[in-house]
Amino acid sequence: MATAATMVSSAGGLLAMLNEPNSLLKHHALTNLNNFVDFFWPEISTSVPIIESLYEDEEFDQRQLAALLVSKVFYYLGELNDSLSYALGAGPLFDVSEDSDYVHTLLAKALDEYASLRTKAAESNTDAVEVDPRLEAIVERMLEKCIEDGRYQQAIGMAIECRRLDKLEEAIIRSDNVHVTLSYCMHISHSFVYRREYRREVFHLLVKVHQKQPSPDYLSICQCLMFLDEPQGVATIFENLLRSGKDDALLAFQIAFDLVGNEQQAFLLNVINRLPNPKAKTPEPAEEVPIEGGSAPTDLASQDSPMTDGPQMSAENTTEDPKEATYAERLTKLKGVLSGETSIQLTLQFLYSHNKSDLLILKTIKQSVEMRNSVCHSATIHANAIMHAGTTVDTFLRENLDWLSRATNWAKFSATAGLGVIHKGHLQQGRSLMAPYLPQGGGGGGGSPYSEGGALYALGLIHANHGEGIKQFLRDSLRNTNVEVIQHGACLGLGLAALGTADDDIFDEIKNVLYTDSAVAGEAAGIAMGLLMVGTATEKAGEMLAYAHETQHEKIIRGLALGIALTVYGREEEADTLIEQMTRDQDPILRYGGMYALALAYRGTANNKAIRQLLHFAVSDVNDDVRRTAVLALGFVLYSEPDQTPRIVSLLSESYNPHVRYGAALAVGISCAGTGLSEAISLLEPLTSDVVDFVRQGALIAMAMVMVQTNEASDSRVGTFRRQLEKIILDKHEDTMSKMGAILASGILDAGGRNVTIQLLSKTKHDRVTAIVGLAVFSQFWYWYPLIYFVSLAFSPTAFIGLNYDLKVPSFEFVSHAKPSLFEYPKPTTVATNISAAKLPTAVLSTSVRAKARATKKEAEKANAEKSSGVEPSAVASASSGKGKSTDKEGDSMQVESPTEKKVEPEASFEILVNPARVVPAQEKFIKFLEDSRYVPVRSAPSGFVLLRDLRPDEPEVLSLTEAPTSNASNAAGSATGTQPSSASAMSVDEEPQPPQPFEYTS
Amino acid sequence: MDPNLTELCQLFDRFKAAFTRHDYETCSNLLTQLKVMLTGFKSLPPLFENTKHAVQELTIARDIYEHAVVLSVKIEDQDAFERDFFQLKPYYTDACGRLPHSPQEYPILGLNLLRLLVQNRIAEFHTELELLSSSALENPCIKHAVELEQSFMEGAYNRVLSARQSVPHETYVYFMDLLAKTVRDEIAGCSEKAYDSLSINDATQLLLFSSDKELHEYIKEEHPEWEVQNGRLIFQQAKEAATCKEIPSLQLINQTLSYARELERIV
Repeated sequence: MATAATMVSSAGGLLAMLNEPNSLLKHHALTNLNNFVDFFWPEISTSVPIIESLYEDEEFDQRQLAALLVSKVFYYLGELNDSLSYALGAGPLFDVSEDSDYVHTLLAKALDEYASLRTKAAESNTDAVEVDPRLEAIVERMLEKCIEDGRYQQAIGMAIECRRLDKLEEAIIRSDNVHVTLSYCMHISHSFVYRREYRREVFHLLVKVHQKQPSPDYLSICQCLMFLDEPQGVATIFENLLRSGKDDALLAFQIAFDLVGNEQQAFLLNVINRLPNPKAKTPEPAEEVPIEGGSAPTDLASQDSPMTDGPQMSAENTTEDPKEATYAERLTKLKGVLSGETSIQLTLQFLYSHNKSDLLILKTIKQSVEMRNSVCHSATIHANAIMHAGTTVDTFLRENLDWLSRATNWAKFSATAGLGVIHKGHLQQGRSLMAPYLPQGGGGGGGSPYSEGGALYALGLIHANHGEGIKQFLRDSLRNTNVEVIQHGACLGLGLAALGTADDDIFDEIKNVLYTDSAVAGEAAGIAMGLLMVGTATEKAGEMLAYAHETQHEKIIRGLALGIALTVYGREEEADTLIEQMTRDQDPILRYGGMYALALAYRGTANNKAIRQLLHFAVSDVNDDVRRTAVLALGFVLYSEPDQTPRIVSLLSESYNPHVRYGAALAVGISCAGTGLSEAISLLEPLTSDVVDFVRQGALIAMAMVMVQTNEASDSRVGTFRRQLEKIILDKHEDTMSKMGAILASGILDAGGRNVTIQLLSKTKHDRVTAIVGLAVFSQFWYWYPLIYFVSLAFSPTAFIGLNYDLKVPSFEFVSHAKPSLFEYPKPTTVATNISAAKLPTAVLSTSVRAKARATKKEAEKANAEKSSGVEPSAVASASSGKGKSTDKEGDSMQVESPTEKKVEPEASFEILVNPARVVPAQEKFIKFLEDSRYVPVRSAPSGFVLLRDLRPDEPEVLSLTEAPTSNASNAAGSATGTQPSSASAMSVDEEPQPPQPFEYTS
Repeated sequence: MDPNLTELCQLFDRFKAAFTRHDYETCSNLLTQLKVMLTGFKSLPPLFENTKHAVQELTIARDIYEHAVVLSVKIEDQDAFERDFFQLKPYYTDACGRLPHSPQEYPILGLNLLRLLVQNRIAEFHTELELLSSSALENPCIKHAVELEQSFMEGAYNRVLSARQSVPHETYVYFMDLLAKTVRDEIAGCSEKAYDSLSINDATQLLLFSSDKELHEYIKEEHPEWEVQNGRLIFQQAKEAATCKEIPSLQLINQTLSYARELERIV
């Protein structure tokens, strides 16, 4: 028997044996075929019908073996569906743990199948879809095995995919590190669970599991609860935290800041309403607490009562309990944070103190723009507003009152509204700042309706998303006017202030304006209704749609279309019916609204279905507006994955249709905003020199959005772009459209005193409602320039602001492990870039004056003041003397910063930053906290508001950032109202220390 | 000796005895038992394990299957023939290196070829042929089948029928009878297409019958739709040519135009 084992060369014999009448022979044949199927499947495949009939033969006792054999053959043939169904028939013979390609493939298939069945069952909301119990058994065996082997992440993924929440819970609880697993789970459910409803279920479960833990991660829980819109849960957590130690209170504040960062105004208000009344000192129980004005419905109050019981009881027992006192104090602080006031105020202080905007750029623009060209004129005003957004610095306007007064009609409206952008977040003084322009009650107002309307709009911008204080005033203004321009401003303002609050009364009032059927007011009303109802998926959308069909005015239809789109914000598949209805409409404007609805409903989900639909419209709709918007909408859907966008729209950016190209540019601008992404810049670069003027405009604006806060050291193309902008602005023969784009782009590039970026995701990776809504409305500037200001809603300060227990800013140092030059402010434009020869000497003079001023302060100050007062109108004279005082302050701060700025020695590889500091997004990964520092962050976040735990509470604290922009009311845009007596005194208080008017020395 | 093998040999002896007695029913029963017993041997295909008595077992198994094939011819069961032949085949193809050549091999291969010819499975016929060595082709049994196929293909039906007289093996007679019928069916099919009607005499000659009676029986059995009228055979099969399908030109034009329109709109 020396011969080697012979291999059989054909399965023909065995196959023939299958036809034998004797079942023993059949069994023998099947067993052997099953062993040899890997080699002979092509031969066996022709006999599959015979084997199938064996499987179907009820009397044959080896049916499962037959099924297994057939399954394997089908697997080799690539018929996975058939293969799976026979594998299920094979019952226990199908071995899950076998390590073969066949088993792996079929398991994957089984999981897919099961997941899709479960999904279908869940989506149709019936149990009609019968899941094969055998399939379920296989999947459960798999899950069990994963958990036992310790592959929890796999198990979690599968359980989520298959909608087996019971298994998910089991996997999480049995995992080694529950906290890590939970955060993993949270992350994947954000990015991979496409259906909103289901995601909610997952979050419910996560919260449940979290709460069972001995030391729950309150930060995550509250994020979940916010997504689930359960203010009660958050309020309870806050209460517990505030009642325990100081560290827990810090944590509570941190959570509150994080929640505020997500900008869900309605949710935050609900949380505040559910918190007990801080006045715990008053012994009498506050049974029916009307907590937040009159807006809190009574049922809320009754819900509160079980919760408020605690404090009441203890309050009665010990009236002057010190614990209660601290509790009340903390509660007050917490409410301050939640209302957003604290963060807004701190941001304002930061932006004011760190303002680095370059007035020379504006000056260049101003001088190169023709006076008669009103588009560029108002674009310059817009650019100024954006550049100084939130900094409260309005020097430029005040210096150029004459020039400003050329703005008439709607340009005046914009100019006034621009003040709102500049003073954005100046909640306390917003009203008094705008007072000179506001409509005067009793008909005394001599102002033009344009500036009055603009002022109302400005108030909205100042109070955007935090409008509790101003809502009533705006409502009154709306009610008291019949002028459509004022109505327009009031509607926009009201919409902004009451963003997302879904207040029915306000809605009805705006609706009344809409029904006057005036084009100008109606458009704003449509948008305002949308703003008010953001993300509520309200029934009222139907009402709006009906009116859009009824009216003759395109403007109204467009406003309503956008408004309807806003109502379905973030509702994903819930919005499908409405989207379907809009995208099928006869009217292109409504289809255009449908695109926005798609964009907003699926914002940041990168949902394939939505993308497919948008791409379809982008290439197939007959209307250019719809196509442009469809492409643009891609930007909104994809902003959570910015690196995808350039790839997806790259083909569209080469379309023959300029509208599509424009859309592609803006889509990239929106989704890659603030990232400085190299691919995005490469895609936009050719578009900035497109043949069509409006494409250039879009590309320039988009480029600015992408490059915001990126400096030349990190990407050399930023410098090129800045020079290109300057060239376009100075070029006499450039088209107005692209010139306007260039002007706006310069504004966006240096937005908010170079301290803000455009961010659509909050620090915790949630979508920032305000920002997204802002950009959506901003993209409407195609039709209506005043809407440009909505871009300011998307700005978010790039700052690290560390706070101590008292919510003050202590001095605290930390390290950025990167070359300082990578992230420093762009160098201020100097003479070299200033082409105009006439201005050359003046610019030199101004700097030298400042240098002298530093050396011999007072004399120079006086001289300066005298000189400027000689030229400027008397109103400014007092102002500049006020400035004189401030300049030494500025001088100090300049000296503090000079070591980093004027570095000549080889560059350091790291940089010490001082709280509060500018930390641009790209820099975040380099931020480290010092180990031996006095303060330890509660949550080691590299930017944003971070609560610091004081390790040495006994030592005195050194606070920084104490000076605030006090009342610096001004009527710089006062061209409308001319000389207001109050202006001089208002300005004298202003402490803004900008370069003192250098250009007058030449004369 | 292995008791199983002994038992198998005894059973096989009984089978052979019954076979020579022409007691085919007993043979079939015994054969089934034999086959079941064979499954117990590891040395047989498809496992081919090297056991102590492998050659012996293989030889007996081959012998059993050869008998089985012949038996199936005797009881005129074509399905059984096919089954048994395929089970026998591995002994010829895969075990040929280890077993002495079987005298029955070529006759049985020839029989199989003939069977394929009878069943009109010409493709498989040629596949089988390709697998044979050139020396095997010289064997009279194989050669017979090959020549028959050639005549069959040429249409030399008379040569096919006359070949019955020169069969190389007695078992071939059964298939030769079947082949005559296959040929006749073929002719009948052609005539049906070629003629509207034929005289009885011509038809008898054409279908290679020796008398009109045989013709009438044939018609009755195989083609009841044929009619005999006034000494003529009338083929009544529906002759109307299937109308060739109309080209959906209008639809195609529309489609092409719509594509062109779509193309214009795309990007």
